Amino acid sequence: MAVEDTKRKDTARAGAAGPRKLDRRDVLKGLSTVPALGLFGYAWSRQRRYQQAKLEEAAPQAAPGALQEINVALLGAGAQGQVLTDAMLRIPGLRFRAVCDVWTEYNQKRVVNQMRKFKHEVNAYEDYREMLDKEKALDAVVIATPDFWHSQHAVDCLKAGKHVYCEKEMSNTLEGARAMVAAARDTGKLLQIGHQRRSNPRYLHCYKRLLGEAKLLGRIVTINGQWNRALTPDLGAPDRYAIPDARLKQYGFRDMRQFRNWRWYRGLGGGPIVDLGSHQIDIYSWFLGANPTAVTARGGNLYHDPVTHEWYDTAMVVYDYDTPLGPAMGYYQTQTTNGSQGYFENFMGDQGTLLISESDVHGAKLYRDTNAPAWDTWVQRGFIAAPKVQEVKEKADTAVTDVRESVSPDEHKVPIVMRDPVHQPHLQNFFDAVRGKATLNCPSEEAYATAVAVLKVNEAIEAKSRLAFAPEDFKI
Amino acid sequence: MEDATLARWPMIAITTLRVFVGWHFLYEGIAKLTSPSWSAAGYLKQARGPFAALFKGLAAQPNLLANADLITMWGLTIVGILLILGLFTRLASLGGIGFIVLFYLCNPPFVGYFYSIPTEGSYLIVNKNLVELGALVVVLVTGTGRFAGLDRIVHGLVGRRPRLSA
Repeated sequence: MAVEDTKRKDTARAGAAGPRKLDRRDVLKGLSTVPALGLFGYAWSRQRRYQQAKLEEAAPQAAPGALQEINVALLGAGAQGQVLTDAMLRIPGLRFRAVCDVWTEYNQKRVVNQMRKFKHEVNAYEDYREMLDKEKALDAVVIATPDFWHSQHAVDCLKAGKHVYCEKEMSNTLEGARAMVAAARDTGKLLQIGHQRRSNPRYLHCYKRLLGEAKLLGRIVTINGQWNRALTPDLGAPDRYAIPDARLKQYGFRDMRQFRNWRWYRGLGGGPIVDLGSHQIDIYSWFLGANPTAVTARGGNLYHDPVTHEWYDTAMVVYDYDTPLGPAMGYYQTQTTNGSQGYFENFMGDQGTLLISESDVHGAKLYRDTNAPAWDTWVQRGFIAAPKVQEVKEKADTAVTDVRESVSPDEHKVPIVMRDPVHQPHLQNFFDAVRGKATLNCPSEEAYATAVAVLKVNEAIEAKSRLAFAPEDFKI
Repeated sequence: MEDATLARWPMIAITTLRVFVGWHFLYEGIAKLTSPSWSAAGYLKQARGPFAALFKGLAAQPNLLANADLITMWGLTIVGILLILGLFTRLASLGGIGFIVLFYLCNPPFVGYFYSIPTEGSYLIVNKNLVELGALVVVLVTGTGRFAGLDRIVHGLVGRRPRLSA
């Protein structure tokens, strides 16, 4: 057969070793797949044009082409500063100019080196005032220093004309927090506080779509939430990186141990209820649309030595709320001796339950209560996933069944997958606001209300009694 | 040589397969290169299976991650171009197989493991990664670049040089 003959010719040619001629057929066959690359180029250019058109459609005000570059400094390059840096390095349109940290021997070097690897030529500073004096081109400062420094740092940065993203808790004192709100108002600069769940797509979807538009929970009556954290050791620091005593004292620390574990100490941090609880108690108020009217709390050093851990290692809190739909109560616990079941917030309404967490372990799930209207519309609209019907185990004949037991509700997953670092959307929101393309998701007034609710817990534990809030406590 | 033992139509079919796989690699690479914020971190953090700790550890170290991102983006692009052109086909196939083995091991559809991100299909042990890996093995052992691809020209040019031993 002709095909067979051709094959043999090909075979002989291709298989031949040693000297041979490159003929026209070789060249043609050799180049035969090159047009595929051309076809790819054509398809890709069409795809690029399509994507570009979609982008422009989505952001009509966006300047075509380049993003307005924002000059950023990091103030506080510890563990949280590192987390924020990792997230910011993924955000386009930022130019890091400076890093300031008093631990010049270690933290400052680490973050400066990292930024230089990502082609950001940053200047390093120990004193933030020197940074503000010298770095005139800065647009924004991201603050991740210990809580007791937040107020002074944020106020001075705002007064120097910089927009500020400050980690939560906005301050360890309400006076400090008030000064920050006032400075933001006086200067007209932006002050975003790092309650990053407020920008998390999962939380925003639940707030806007499930609670706002679809009202799937009905009326929220109770909340329970927790952050259980396993024992964490003394962070320690190698002697060769120790900060000289004089510098430690200058910045408000007794010694290296206190510097490393400042969250355990009164006057520096606020204890676990502030470090952990603040994020979630913020969500209680946000989702309920109301600040608490009273707080009852118990807590103490059940495990740790109060000499090293000045703040309570355990707190159990009950808030009263008067929401637009009626009264509600929220329970919250945090403990630092066992990390079981991690952290979540569980909102229970008369039509359904929302279990939500920043952690992917829990994600977000909705449970439809039996008396709620069907949720088929919301499944079809993609608000929630189709239900996983709860398994009903057959009970043994001898088991005593409570005839009043409610039927287990169906579980619907919330179909929002968060692939970015959890702080990235909140930082993105801040930088979008700096560019004038968004409003802050957690402006200082909102964070102030949360600080009022959270800092009161430590007072209530101290007082061993129920403390009431007046509505004006949250206003500023 | 084993690459010349197949009949013409099977070779055309395998060449087409090579171009398809190359196209896929090239677009995976280019899409990542042109995305301003792409990183392998998301994928690595979702790692399941016996090697999960290794992949998650990689995601947790920014310096290593930056290298992994670069290698993935450029590696996929280069392998894709070489496969489409049929240039250094065997080397490109091996490179592609290397990438796919890593992708496969990061989230293997083994019994008892599940992928937390919803996927578009249902897989048990064999998934599309493994099928693409199989396709590359076929490309590797048949050396289709010398049938239809720049390897044919390169081979011809190199082959024309007088050999020292001759």
